[in-house]
Amino acid sequence: MRTLVLGLGNELAGDDAVGVLVARALRPELHDVADVVESAASGLALIEVFAGHERAIVVDSIVTGRNPPGTITEMGLEEVGRVVAPSLHHAGLPELAAVAARLGLGFPSRTRVLAVEVVDPYTFGAGLSDPVAGAVEELIRRVGEQVRRWETEAACTTTPP
Amino acid sequence: MSSEILIDPITRLEGHGRIHIFVNDEGSVDHAYLQIPELRGFEKFAQGRRAEDMPQITSRICGVCPMAHHMAGTKTLDDLYHVDPPPAAKKVREMVYDTFMVEDHALHFFFLGGPDFVVGPTAPKAERNILGVIGKVGLEVGKEVIGVRKELRDLMTEAAGKAIHPVFGLPGGISKPISPELRDRFVAAAAHAVEFGKFSLQVFRDVVLSNAEYVDLVTSEAYTHRTYYMGLVDERNRTNFYDGRLRVVDPQGKEFLTFGASEYLDHVAEHVEPWSYIKFAYLKDVGWSGFADGPDSGVFAVAPLARLNAADAMSTPVAQEASEEFFSTFGGRPVHHTLATHWARLVELVNAAERMGELAADPEIASPEVRTIPTEIPTEGIGVVEAPRGTLIHHYETDERGLITRANLIVATQNNAARIALSVDKAAKALVHGLDVDEGLLNEVEMAFRAYDPCFGCATHSLPGEMPLIVEIRDLRGELVREIRRD
Repeated sequence: MRTLVLGLGNELAGDDAVGVLVARALRPELHDVADVVESAASGLALIEVFAGHERAIVVDSIVTGRNPPGTITEMGLEEVGRVVAPSLHHAGLPELAAVAARLGLGFPSRTRVLAVEVVDPYTFGAGLSDPVAGAVEELIRRVGEQVRRWETEAACTTTPP
Repeated sequence: MSSEILIDPITRLEGHGRIHIFVNDEGSVDHAYLQIPELRGFEKFAQGRRAEDMPQITSRICGVCPMAHHMAGTKTLDDLYHVDPPPAAKKVREMVYDTFMVEDHALHFFFLGGPDFVVGPTAPKAERNILGVIGKVGLEVGKEVIGVRKELRDLMTEAAGKAIHPVFGLPGGISKPISPELRDRFVAAAAHAVEFGKFSLQVFRDVVLSNAEYVDLVTSEAYTHRTYYMGLVDERNRTNFYDGRLRVVDPQGKEFLTFGASEYLDHVAEHVEPWSYIKFAYLKDVGWSGFADGPDSGVFAVAPLARLNAADAMSTPVAQEASEEFFSTFGGRPVHHTLATHWARLVELVNAAERMGELAADPEIASPEVRTIPTEIPTEGIGVVEAPRGTLIHHYETDERGLITRANLIVATQNNAARIALSVDKAAKALVHGLDVDEGLLNEVEMAFRAYDPCFGCATHSLPGEMPLIVEIRDLRGELVREIRRD
């Protein structure tokens, strides 16, 4: 089963595009080992995207106001906000996993989320702000490295003795 | 001296927002506001772009209803270029659009609205989510929703381009006809969708209508507003999601106005408040008299409940029967209970599915004649559709080359914004007494606007901030009196 690289975001809305742009940049490099998907959908609407993958990396913007813009926070699924009754139309990744499990739909057993703190995800046509644009290269590098790490592990565990 | 209760962010919706509840000295709610950030700068962004790119550009505004924007934009191009598509093109557009309505309504009913009422209004927090819904209605239902959605999205992808970014709409028609094979798949999927719709209505009867607590909540004053209602209707005043005239009925249910999309701005104006970015639409012919309901207030509503109220009937038999059951349960029309919109959504689901089947069986649906090439110089165009969340309007002005000079969108939620504000205010006043609020009560305030499924300028995707809901109650000196954490 292939790895899923999922870039989430609204391509038109300023910094909200970052996830989508990172995925797009990675596709040529990773397309033979991973399914690289860009999506503006969220929450339950993504349930089909995750199915059929053992491992997933999600890239998305985040607004916490607690970190300087451009800060990348890496989380496992369980750390992605047990955001209270998360918006089912919105990220809600832990709930998505629970629903998929309940419905027997399959969900990656390993999911990493790379969330980058953004400045303005609300303005049409604004493009990425400087701090967020500055984080793109590191995001690309980290996603690529994680995919290759997983590929290596998978190869090791399937190599016959 | 008043204190403020803040709910931030809002759960289970597109976008983030905050509800501020101001509690006065006597412990009752002074007023409650809903503030949601919205996407900005669309007008500037659109300037200079080719109008014919707008259906594809605007489909990217929102990951939830790209098809609604794509279709509104496409119809605006018809108007802009003064071109009339051939009949087969209109039928295909409507069939694909109805497919989208079924899919979106199904997702909403079970996953978004469901947790509010299927598990019961005072169910423990841990159950008020989709897992609770699945627990209540059964695993098979959950799987069925996912399966139906996938089938419909696959069809939309084949007919219209990627489901998330449809591309088939053009001024004067569509980009390619429906093949006989694809038509047959639409026929089968429509039949399946109708069965699913009937089944959903039965789930609703068994699980919701049989729950007296829920019925009391639906009909309670806290969730009732007697406003005007607006929706698209066909020439026989039956709901149509793709096309028709806009019809407004008054709080008594009598026809008040009908007008074509191009006259929208003659009848609807926008009111601005300092505490929200949202522009509140209201009926010019009635006037703005504040956040109030009743015949003297221009506040109106759109979306499923409003559409059922604004029409005289549904255009298909099973939906019509369901609609009659709906109205007789509430003692006649119009129905003013906001929470009834969840039921109205299911009636619409059935209607869209039946209509999809009717169109798929139409002898013209696979015709190769799907485009009239525009020949006129573009000037100005307005296009309207009924999005799942209500009336959606696109308006473009261009130069003679078809480059945008002005563009405006009036999204469904702007049409509902005043009534949403009313709902939050009214629910907070009825339900919140004093600062000793518990989570269940706060959830009931949120239920007031979740019924509208607002999308507030088609919000962004950003992960919600790390911290879950924090309710801060402060006194006038800014001192923290109480903090409620929902995590």
